[in-house]
Amino acid sequence: MSDLDDFKATYFDECSELLLELEEQFAAIEAGDSTSDRLNAVFRAIHSIKGGGGAFGFSALVGFAHAYETLLDHVRDGKVDLTEPVVALCIRANDLVADFVKAAKDGVTLAEGYGSDEKAQFDVLTAAEGEEETLEEFDLDFVPVMVQVGPKTLPADPSTFTPDAAADHFDVAPLSPSDLGWLVRFVPQPELYARANDPLLLIRELGRLGAVEIRARVDDVPLLGDFEGMASYCAWDIFVSGDKVTRAAIEEIFEFVEGLCELDLREASRHELGPLTLPPQAAEVFDDGPSLADLAAEIKPKAPTAGQAVEPVAPPPEGAAEGDRRNGIHSIRVDLDKIDRVVNMVGELVITQSMLTQQMDESLRAQYQELVRGLEVLAQTTRGLQDSVMSIRAQPVKTVFSRMPRLVRELAVKTGKKIRLETVGENTEIDKTIIEQLSDPLTHMIRNSADHGIEGPEKRLGLGKSDTGVIRLSAEQSGGNIIIAVEDDGGGINRDRVLQVARERGVVGADQQLTDDQTDQLIFAPGFSTASEVSDLSGRGVGMDVVLSNIKKIGGSVQVKSWPGKGTRMTLRLPLTLAVLDVMLVTVAGSPYVIPLSTIVETMQCMRANFSRMPTGGQVLKVRGEYVQVVDLAQRFAMPTSVDDASRFVVLCEAEGGQKIALVVDGIIGQQQVVIKSLEENFQSIEGIAGGTILGDGNVALIVDVQGIKVSSGLAHKSAA
Amino acid sequence: MEALGFRDETSSEDVVSAANSLQLIAFSIGEQTYGVEITTVREIRAWNGATPIPNTRDFVRGVINLRGTIVPIFDLRARFGEGQTSPTKNHVVVVISVGEKWVGILVDAVSDILTVSRTDIHNVPEGQAVDNELLNGIITHDNRMVGLIDLYAVVNGARVDD
Repeated sequence: MSDLDDFKATYFDECSELLLELEEQFAAIEAGDSTSDRLNAVFRAIHSIKGGGGAFGFSALVGFAHAYETLLDHVRDGKVDLTEPVVALCIRANDLVADFVKAAKDGVTLAEGYGSDEKAQFDVLTAAEGEEETLEEFDLDFVPVMVQVGPKTLPADPSTFTPDAAADHFDVAPLSPSDLGWLVRFVPQPELYARANDPLLLIRELGRLGAVEIRARVDDVPLLGDFEGMASYCAWDIFVSGDKVTRAAIEEIFEFVEGLCELDLREASRHELGPLTLPPQAAEVFDDGPSLADLAAEIKPKAPTAGQAVEPVAPPPEGAAEGDRRNGIHSIRVDLDKIDRVVNMVGELVITQSMLTQQMDESLRAQYQELVRGLEVLAQTTRGLQDSVMSIRAQPVKTVFSRMPRLVRELAVKTGKKIRLETVGENTEIDKTIIEQLSDPLTHMIRNSADHGIEGPEKRLGLGKSDTGVIRLSAEQSGGNIIIAVEDDGGGINRDRVLQVARERGVVGADQQLTDDQTDQLIFAPGFSTASEVSDLSGRGVGMDVVLSNIKKIGGSVQVKSWPGKGTRMTLRLPLTLAVLDVMLVTVAGSPYVIPLSTIVETMQCMRANFSRMPTGGQVLKVRGEYVQVVDLAQRFAMPTSVDDASRFVVLCEAEGGQKIALVVDGIIGQQQVVIKSLEENFQSIEGIAGGTILGDGNVALIVDVQGIKVSSGLAHKSAA
Repeated sequence: MEALGFRDETSSEDVVSAANSLQLIAFSIGEQTYGVEITTVREIRAWNGATPIPNTRDFVRGVINLRGTIVPIFDLRARFGEGQTSPTKNHVVVVISVGEKWVGILVDAVSDILTVSRTDIHNVPEGQAVDNELLNGIITHDNRMVGLIDLYAVVNGARVDD
């Protein structure tokens, strides 16, 4: 069964990609860009989801996707106009498909009739074109027939047999008496099915060109016992005739499956197709089919003879390009673990290389010039290797941004507000691990904006704003960082309320005065929430502190800036990669520690530092007219040090929100790059320590968690006060 | 039962039926012998120092680099409340997997590999809470008592605030 599980895993992987694609396409369509390329892409995505779902027997998913696909097919053919309500329905349908996929993935059964409202709306929209609908129904009705007949091409796709059935009836009631036309001998290869192509669709396209008559060649179909699931046994001879039928038109239809089937195409007369012979048991079954004659009659108007101008739908050029890409392999799926191993090893390599370079002192350099040159090349190559490996892991932030439109839609409905989401810089690339960690924080931030930032439509109109609030999600690269901002044009942070709540909860002392910026940062304090009522969306007091801790975990920082009445901007500053960290190596009580370079403002000798004693016994450092809290790391870590105070060093660091803290260490060794290692993997998290790293000499150094030390020292101070 | 020694030297009559037998790595702390199931042991290495971790109990000796992963080292003597070991190059770290995690335990020496029958495991007598907490059972081997270490218990409570 593990094979099947593998297939399933791949299917769900593909589904999530396809669902992202749907979001993307509809974002463009919603913005008014509804080209046929986009519609085709949407159709293909839904079709692939449905096809795979059918293979695994996710009937609820298939049922819904099928109805949706029918609507899309109508839209694509211009039978249903892509009006605003239809787009809205489609977007809603995308969400439902996502729900169905998730339910299938989790093995959960959704409530009976889930999505039936939307399904009913599809039916209303597509009902105008009754015969098409019936034809679709016809596909489904014949599923049990397939099981009984036995000779079928692919168990995963029972519908492939139906065109023959339809054609057989064409024979009974000939559609077009024209005896000259084209004979298409179509022999699908297994790859055709493996790539989720459906012969029925191709044959149907042929049917749009002119009258078709089909013979299935089922001689190769083995006995059930010899039946191989992945093989292709069935082939078709298709006679197609009509005014529009040309070689080019037929080839265009099969262009999409070029190389996936044997195709023999020649001009011929009808009798070359040969007489219709049905396997006896199949004939029996067909005799039982009550609606076949009706169906044939209903299909008839589809032929051009009925005078309808049915445009042949050519495979979209984009699709063809995709086909090319599939034929020549230009991308491969690789297990993330494998990439991670490479990334880790490259990280180690970078560090070993920098260690080697450091070992080269002046006398060695003079003595071994070749070695020096070699090391320089090594340094360059290592850098190049590092960049390449990082780019493998890099992904556009689009993958997480594209989940947000749905969230905003749901929030708008729940809050009764009008909200528009704008996204900028979705193609900015960032390490995959960071992207995975971004989803929760962004969700919380957008919730916060929708719930607390944006005002209701009436209030907005009263304030002279547009009734639709805007949330702007942007990403850009700035130096070695990625800046992600969530902005809204709402009311801004209510500082009075924030301060009041903070005082009530004891987060801020009664007599403490805060600047506006400091007040704004309070929303990140644990358990802090100003919402007077706990709403379903946010306001439980978990949220913004989760944002802070999640972002901190991936080495980033959060800042908030607010303009009363005008809006709020929350900015995430994230490292480009998690693999390598620039640090300063220091010693505390004889053990090595590293402090992330990004947090360090400056370093100074203790003997030159201007310390003052506080009443509670703590120390503050005066630096550039500012008093900064001092933490002696040796004391803080309860590790006795023998270094005398005068020869120790102060490392001035900046924690979240620009708050400074001065760390006292025994010695400073220098700067270097390190690979972050988890302490929790084999141990547990330790307060004041953000992780570990392995130094060039093989020893472990611990990474100082500046923010954690700042926070816990503040708490200790408060409880002492 | 006779001393069984290493697996290779085990004569056929001494072989306890596989399903019912248990192989232990035995190690010593002072005069006392303890054991852990051999299937949990990943590696045995000489003590080569460790980077101390702040805000942990005295039995956490620190962390070491085990081929690129950080592994904590627990001082078993200190865990038993007998004071920290003063390790030398002759002391041994036994790297053991505890659930998903790998941890090292610092012991004086590794003495033997024992094959015993599961039915020979005695319960730890009621009494000292610490003994009950840290030992899963007791086995008599060669007229000596071998305490079966409960690895989960050893690892727990490492943080000062736990």
